[in-house]
Amino acid sequence: MRKTFIKTLSEISRDNEDIYIVCGDAGFGVFEDFKKEKPDRFINTGVAEANMIGYSAGLAITGFNVFVYNIIPFLLYRCYEQVRNDICYQRLPVTLVGIGSGVTYAPAGMTHYSVEDIALCRSLPNLSIISPIDPIETKAAIEYAVEYNGPLFIRLAKSGELVIRKDESMDITVPHVISEGEDVAIISYGSIFSEALHAVNILKNEGIEPALISLPMIKPINEEAIFDIINGFRAVIILEEHLRYGGLVSILADLFIERGIGARFIPLTLPDAFIHDVNRQAGMRRKYGIDAEGVARTVRSVITDKSQGYLLQNR
Amino acid sequence: MSLKTEQMVFAIHKAMSVREKILKMANRSKGAHVGSCLSVVDILTYLYFKELRIRPEDTLWEDRDYFLMSKGHGAMALYAVLAERGVIDEKLLKGYMQEDGTLPAHLDRFSVPGIEVSAGALGHGLSIAVGIAHGLKLRSKKNRVFVLMGDGECQEGSVWEAAMLAPKLKLSNLTVIVDLNDLQGYGRPSELVSFYPFAEKWKAFGWEAVEADGHNFDSLRSAFTRADRSSLPSVIIAKTVKGKGISFMEDELKWHYFIVTDEHLSAALMELKGA
Ligand SMILES: Cc1ncc(C[n+]2csc(CCOP(=O)(O)OP(=O)(O)O)c2C)c(N)n1
Repeated sequence: MRKTFIKTLSEISRDNEDIYIVCGDAGFGVFEDFKKEKPDRFINTGVAEANMIGYSAGLAITGFNVFVYNIIPFLLYRCYEQVRNDICYQRLPVTLVGIGSGVTYAPAGMTHYSVEDIALCRSLPNLSIISPIDPIETKAAIEYAVEYNGPLFIRLAKSGELVIRKDESMDITVPHVISEGEDVAIISYGSIFSEALHAVNILKNEGIEPALISLPMIKPINEEAIFDIINGFRAVIILEEHLRYGGLVSILADLFIERGIGARFIPLTLPDAFIHDVNRQAGMRRKYGIDAEGVARTVRSVITDKSQGYLLQNR
Repeated sequence: MSLKTEQMVFAIHKAMSVREKILKMANRSKGAHVGSCLSVVDILTYLYFKELRIRPEDTLWEDRDYFLMSKGHGAMALYAVLAERGVIDEKLLKGYMQEDGTLPAHLDRFSVPGIEVSAGALGHGLSIAVGIAHGLKLRSKKNRVFVLMGDGECQEGSVWEAAMLAPKLKLSNLTVIVDLNDLQGYGRPSELVSFYPFAEKWKAFGWEAVEADGHNFDSLRSAFTRADRSSLPSVIIAKTVKGKGISFMEDELKWHYFIVTDEHLSAALMELKGA
């Protein structure tokens, strides 16, 4: 995802003088070529995140299309008020490109996890959120960001994510059915999507076919499209590498309640707790039941226990 | 005011053993930050064997000196010195970053005894240290508070917010050590966002600022002695080399990130032992 991000942005910036990259002392191995090519369109403002964001807002006021790159906690948490007041409140064209979604960096420790970022960002007016599942969605997200004229958070993992989407010329703002199915639908976003995909492949061998939906743009959510897609499913499993509250589960719950639509949600998330376990990302996902096996187990139990959930009511 | 020969030999031996532990942890874990850790070995060795009043068997002893490792990415160095000093079992180092292990890559105060505060996001330690130092003063306690920061870390505004508060609270019981290796995550502080002249800035804020060679025990000793005697909060600006002790790692940005392979490890250990 990191490579796709810089490759896409570098290509676009060859004939776009307004693109400017700001990093907060991160990006070793990412920006070397860009710095050479466009030395006056890149700055490392150091380990000083509040200033990094305020400065980016200022650049945006002078007409630059600013991309800020950092590890998510140092992109959003340390400087939340700057993001809120300087970028979102003033609706400035700044794209916040964050890496290390979820527990990508495990076992780095809680300081380096970004497991409440969706909760923080969803509450900020004017801020859009895109969390790609793979390099193809990442490319589409960056292209969208260049055109979009407002505050945007792009939530990336790190590197080595496999290609999942086949449709390069997609509309990143709509949810997309990756795998057709019935009875149970799985919705996910971000790099953990690969676990859901793996689960679907395991289940296919058992004759179970849940639907699998990618939802890259979490805010604003394309409400009509999401209702159309999940209408008729008995239960919806929401898989996210995020703490239990404030993420996609909460976002969809809000939406369904508001519309008076009954639906059975099964949240597969990290717990409502600080994480002290020493495990790598794969082990951590396994421990909290949000890996492929956990998803498959959940689908099986929903399929066999018909009391779990009920048909979604039409609007 | 230099160390006696046998004390010097002892300290050098301890530092070498700490370096060996760090290199092995870095190799086994395939994790980053070996350069950041080697940079502070001599400072930590001096602190844990010469300066800090602690009881290895009772890390919550109420009269202890507090040590806060603000540059939390130097975790391996702290774990290694805690093991060397007998605060934690050396066997625990094998669980560094391992599946269901005990030691994470940044500091978690609930992981093992002797970790005074959790850290990993830069620029938090000094503020907490100011709070602890003031709390101790309010309770008329004699404990001292030490905090170790990176030089890149000193670009954080919060560092200077705390630096303004400490003299106002007359925190003579507080000593900051800055690991001045002139490398950070993606460049050099002197080139990116320079804070020089550095000692003068601290002095202007009302601190006792002492410069030292962060790899020389005699130099560290006189710096800590001056800090201890000062009625002001003190900062020891310790000139260091990132990756110190392993020639091919010294003063190289990439060793903030690079993994210590088996080949690197054997070359590094050979150099250490030969030294
Ligand atoms: C608030 C915050 N921002 C960014 C980071 C990412 N980061 C980890 S280490 C580092 C460089 C630190 O440089 P320095 O303090 O000089 O320590 P060194 O490793 O050079 O000893 C950065 C930017 C972080 N951990 N915390």
